[in-house]
Amino acid sequence: MQPPPADTASSASVAPGPVAVLEARGIVKRFGHVEALRGVDFEAHAGEVTALIGDNGAGKSTLVKILSGVYQATAGNILLDGCNVTFNSPSDAHALGIETVYQDLSVAPDLTPSANMFMGRELVLPGLLGKFGFLDNARMRRESAEAFQRLKVSLKDIDMPIASLSGGQRQSVAICRSIMWAKQVVFMDEPTAALGVVQTRRTLELVRRICDTGVAVVLISHNMRDVLEVADTIEVLRLGRRIARLRNNNISIQDLVGAMTGALDSTADEQVTA
Amino acid sequence: MSEISLKPAGTPTGKPAGDRPASHGIGFLTNNLRQYGMLLSLFVIMAFFQVVTDGTLLRPLNLTNLALQNSYIVIMALGMLMVIVSGHIDLSVGSVAGFIGALAAVLIVQYNIPFIPAAIICLVAGGLIGAAQGYWVAYFKVPSFIVTLAGMLVFKGAMLAILGGQSVGPFPVTFQRLSSGFIPELIGDGTGLRQTSVLIGVVVGLALVWLNMKARARQQSHGIETEPSGFFIAKNVIVFGVITWFSWLIASYRGLPNVLVIMLGLIGLYAFITNRTIIGRQIYAIGGNRNAAKLSGIRTERLTFFTFVNMGVLAALAGLVFAARLNTATPKAGLGFELDVIAACFIGGASAYGGVGQVTGAVIGAFIMGVMNNGMSIVGIGIDYQQVIKGLVLLGAVCIDVYNQKR
Repeated sequence: MQPPPADTASSASVAPGPVAVLEARGIVKRFGHVEALRGVDFEAHAGEVTALIGDNGAGKSTLVKILSGVYQATAGNILLDGCNVTFNSPSDAHALGIETVYQDLSVAPDLTPSANMFMGRELVLPGLLGKFGFLDNARMRRESAEAFQRLKVSLKDIDMPIASLSGGQRQSVAICRSIMWAKQVVFMDEPTAALGVVQTRRTLELVRRICDTGVAVVLISHNMRDVLEVADTIEVLRLGRRIARLRNNNISIQDLVGAMTGALDSTADEQVTA
Repeated sequence: MSEISLKPAGTPTGKPAGDRPASHGIGFLTNNLRQYGMLLSLFVIMAFFQVVTDGTLLRPLNLTNLALQNSYIVIMALGMLMVIVSGHIDLSVGSVAGFIGALAAVLIVQYNIPFIPAAIICLVAGGLIGAAQGYWVAYFKVPSFIVTLAGMLVFKGAMLAILGGQSVGPFPVTFQRLSSGFIPELIGDGTGLRQTSVLIGVVVGLALVWLNMKARARQQSHGIETEPSGFFIAKNVIVFGVITWFSWLIASYRGLPNVLVIMLGLIGLYAFITNRTIIGRQIYAIGGNRNAAKLSGIRTERLTFFTFVNMGVLAALAGLVFAARLNTATPKAGLGFELDVIAACFIGGASAYGGVGQVTGAVIGAFIMGVMNNGMSIVGIGIDYQQVIKGLVLLGAVCIDVYNQKR
């Protein structure tokens, strides 16, 4: 139940190991007759930001939903630290330290930041009272405040409902929640889509800080500039397949667009056969 | 750990309590107007009718009647609040209460089943009715408006069927005591001022003040902004004074009615469940953002189901109280109750979109409606204009709420 340690100094030096934290092999997903994913491979490494890009309908969101337990794959394997795993529900993924921040602000607006941080995982008082489900509000509040401080998120008022915060701050709370619980991987599905320029900047800085804590961050975005700014590795999906895995050095937006649309297949530094 | 270090860097709220501008008198009051506004309106409405009725409103007999007349609405409002907070609505509660009252009459009067087993059967039946409706809402995702509209028709019909279209009664005295009985007098001779009732009032008043002080101390120790101390003292003196005064008034008639004790117990229980337990917290989360709640592992279906079962049991209890009060089960029992109950929740600050609302607000809302009903009847306003005025008050209360949220 403890959030990950704030030990950023030592974990910042974690080099991407040979084995990916999370790896997907040949994931197929059919919805009736529609084949959304046709054998996708994917990998995310600890302490790295992996961007997942692709045109509309490429299968990004479907893949994320499979890797976070919302959907179940029709075929294919998911490996966590090299071991096969299956997720029947988001709770299964949560239990293994995989969290997701959804595009549509996954917070309850009428609850306080700390109530949101512990949503679905509320802490109870010790002893008999806890057995009856009595909340330990003080401890939840304290641990949330510590998490906000660790990730340098400043909130106007930690005791007001989230509805009174700005969109960026709400998104920060949603992200902090994921970080608090994620031991392994955080998926972020268009975390900046609903945000303004300044808030987007803050969120991207937050993404970098998270990844410095040694967690693997997977960023799904349509914004190529954001992707080039924060990503270490970029995975490109097209029509339900991974068509490229690129290291982020000397890549231009044109290269990415080319890879996404299939116009410039040869620019990839290292190409993966689909 | 000191309170300053708990605050995220760069926020001004890290300063000790009392230094902030919002903590001072007027500023605090305007910031928390929404919270105190309802209680203030109840006081204003009571004061208004106290004057207009030449003091009849707060006569011991009338005050006792006021409590009895509204008890079943308050009891159902407790369950309805949870249903509304979870983002649903239950239109069937009036019919369910009527049906359960009829069931009790048939069991007790026609089959001579003793009070206790009959009451248990009725409460279980209420729970089953809630479960039957909650199942469709929670697991089949049928809109609650439609499921409970169907339930309203079904149980209104079922009530007519088991009563055979006639009133069934009277009930034995033991059952009547549920509504028209008063707590036994432990001190004194049971005439004049009922000292036990006064004593209970004083104890409850002191307990509330003590709980408030404990909560305040806890908040201060965590560096949470609290109300200014002058305001806090004034509030507690008023709370204690009003409770003692009301218990004195009620004691000078026949003492605390049994149903008032049941009602107060339930109010305390549900205020606690909604504010301090996992179930309560998760119901607010579901109402606020259903998808987020589901994705964070909350069992939304099960909780929604539970709120309907709970509503069914409370509607059954209200049905028993109402039948005991009339001393007969009539085919018209429960007619239109759902509207009073839902209005109480909305006047009390619950949001029609879910996620917002407090038990205390719903109770105050129920009493605002109750005092208006009672006051207007004493003044002699006809039932026609009473409805018009009540409708406008409901609209006004919700408009003020929407306006406050937009600010």
